[in-house]
Amino acid sequence: MADRLLGYIGEFGTPEALLDAARQARSESFRCIDAFSPFPVEGMDEALALKGDHRIGWITLAGGIFGITGMLAIQLFVNVDYPIEVGGRPLFAWPAFAVVDFEIMILCAVTFAVAGMLIINRLPKLHHPLFGTARFGLASEDRFFLYIDASDPKFDAQRTRSFLGSLGAWSIEAVRP
Amino acid sequence: MASRMPVIPLSETYRDITREVARVPLRMPARVPWLIAFILSLALLSLFLASITYLFARGVGIWGLNIPVNWAFAIHLYVWWLGLGHAGTLISAMLLLMGQDWRNSLNRFAEAMTVCAVICAGMEPIIHLGRPWFLYWMFPYPATMGVWPQFRSPLEWDVWAVMTYLIVSVLFWYIGLVPDLATVRDRARKRGWQVFFGIFALGWRGSARHWAVWNKTYRTIAAIAVPLVVSVHSEVSLLFASGQIPGWHSTIFPPYFVLGAAFSGFAMVAMIAIVMRHTFKLGHIVTERHLDVLAKVTLAMGMMTAYGYFFEVFDAYYSGEAREIATVHDRFFGYYAWAYWGAVVCNFLPLQGLWFDRVRRSPVLLFLISTSVVVGMWLERYMILVTSLYKDFLPSSFGYYHASFWDWSTYIGMLGLFLVPFLLFVRFLPSISIFEDKEVLAREKAEAARG
Repeated sequence: MADRLLGYIGEFGTPEALLDAARQARSESFRCIDAFSPFPVEGMDEALALKGDHRIGWITLAGGIFGITGMLAIQLFVNVDYPIEVGGRPLFAWPAFAVVDFEIMILCAVTFAVAGMLIINRLPKLHHPLFGTARFGLASEDRFFLYIDASDPKFDAQRTRSFLGSLGAWSIEAVRP
Repeated sequence: MASRMPVIPLSETYRDITREVARVPLRMPARVPWLIAFILSLALLSLFLASITYLFARGVGIWGLNIPVNWAFAIHLYVWWLGLGHAGTLISAMLLLMGQDWRNSLNRFAEAMTVCAVICAGMEPIIHLGRPWFLYWMFPYPATMGVWPQFRSPLEWDVWAVMTYLIVSVLFWYIGLVPDLATVRDRARKRGWQVFFGIFALGWRGSARHWAVWNKTYRTIAAIAVPLVVSVHSEVSLLFASGQIPGWHSTIFPPYFVLGAAFSGFAMVAMIAIVMRHTFKLGHIVTERHLDVLAKVTLAMGMMTAYGYFFEVFDAYYSGEAREIATVHDRFFGYYAWAYWGAVVCNFLPLQGLWFDRVRRSPVLLFLISTSVVVGMWLERYMILVTSLYKDFLPSSFGYYHASFWDWSTYIGMLGLFLVPFLLFVRFLPSISIFEDKEVLAREKAEAARG
């Protein structure tokens, strides 16, 4: 028995062709689609309705707040737990603390952002069914791919295939696990 | 904008860019020069290891340090290395946010340079600690003795600033590298390469959803990295200001240090760019236009650094402080006047050549001028430290500093610590950003099509 069909992938030659194809697929009310390109294609966010995702911004902010409050708490605690009196200077030396607080705020913001990016993108994921298709390696070189998933409510093995053809795809392949 | 020369020649295709860059790790084109450079760097690295082994055995007394001059090579090189590193972050982050397309052929190896330079910079204060094996005392851990680190000490600033800078530089560099690792993974034919790049590419497949999140992350980190650079080198200059030594209190110090850092760093990037494009025949990707822009930025940074020189002198006289003025006189005419004038000459004299288009586009001249700048900034950092320290407040405590053999061997050896990882990077990873150059090319093609 042949493997279950996961979807179809069509190959395009230019970023503009891919963008057009993605727009048309959206206007045909396909929802479970994805585009693959060797570099970010300008306008693809709008075409696939990916705009308005501010998760990374919030995650970064959370990291920054975590970093600065955490570090400040450590500094304060340390000076209470083991006070080192030097010439009557205040134990809570805010200007001297600020340097380290700022650095750790940045450190946490950046590590949170990177971790957030990996988690949202579900990476690392070393294998994916798409890698099994013959031409997908070119997605990192000079070809552009549009993928329509079988879980899409409009998906129909025959019609989706010919739809990709009507968009002008150079090659169409079935994706199987 | 039609008259503007494209950054990447329009005759290139996406495939050409992949081929030109990816061939370097996959089918090394310049094996023999690379091997020679690598062996020399390994020799330097062994010199470094020998030097610090001796240092750990005998202590910092093997250097020329004495009591008025207790900060010399290790600290001045700390500032110098860190400064070299800053240009990488600025090229990558600041120019990314400003939409400067020319950055895309330079950012990757500039960032790698940053990482290598920060490793060296971080090493300097550690080996200066005297008892470096107690480095972990700087971190707040529940010690059995019940003591905690002194967060009011500038030494703590160094630890956290350098650590943050190193981690952020590595992360920024790595997430920018992931899509290119995927490109090289897909081009690799040998199993070993496929596994190596496959693992480090994290399974990147260029999905639009991934790109969208990736783009946001990359830009967010870039926006955070610019103030980080400024804060790290300002912190270094404040380190000086928190002492009592004359000559370290000018209010110009933070920007002066940051600009000086960027100045030497851009010169260093120009040097590396020239060597790489020549060795690996990357003339189509790192074009004359890139050298031209790098030269202009170096010139601008240099002139701003020159302003710092003027202001420092002005500040001393304006303060009316006898010791500040005496320090300026010492810099001009004192025992270490050669360091001051050497810095002025090396930094600013050959630099003036960069006003001319011909000089900017000549790789040989640009390389020589950049070398002069890197040497000049080396002298400047030396001058700032030693000329301020050698005349203590009482004449009986004056003392000269002479770099010892071990000072030099540690420094020269440390060049190996910089070069070995950098050469490994050039050999095994795509040293120019493939996908970002394709992005530029796509934009140029779209513009050309629109006419």
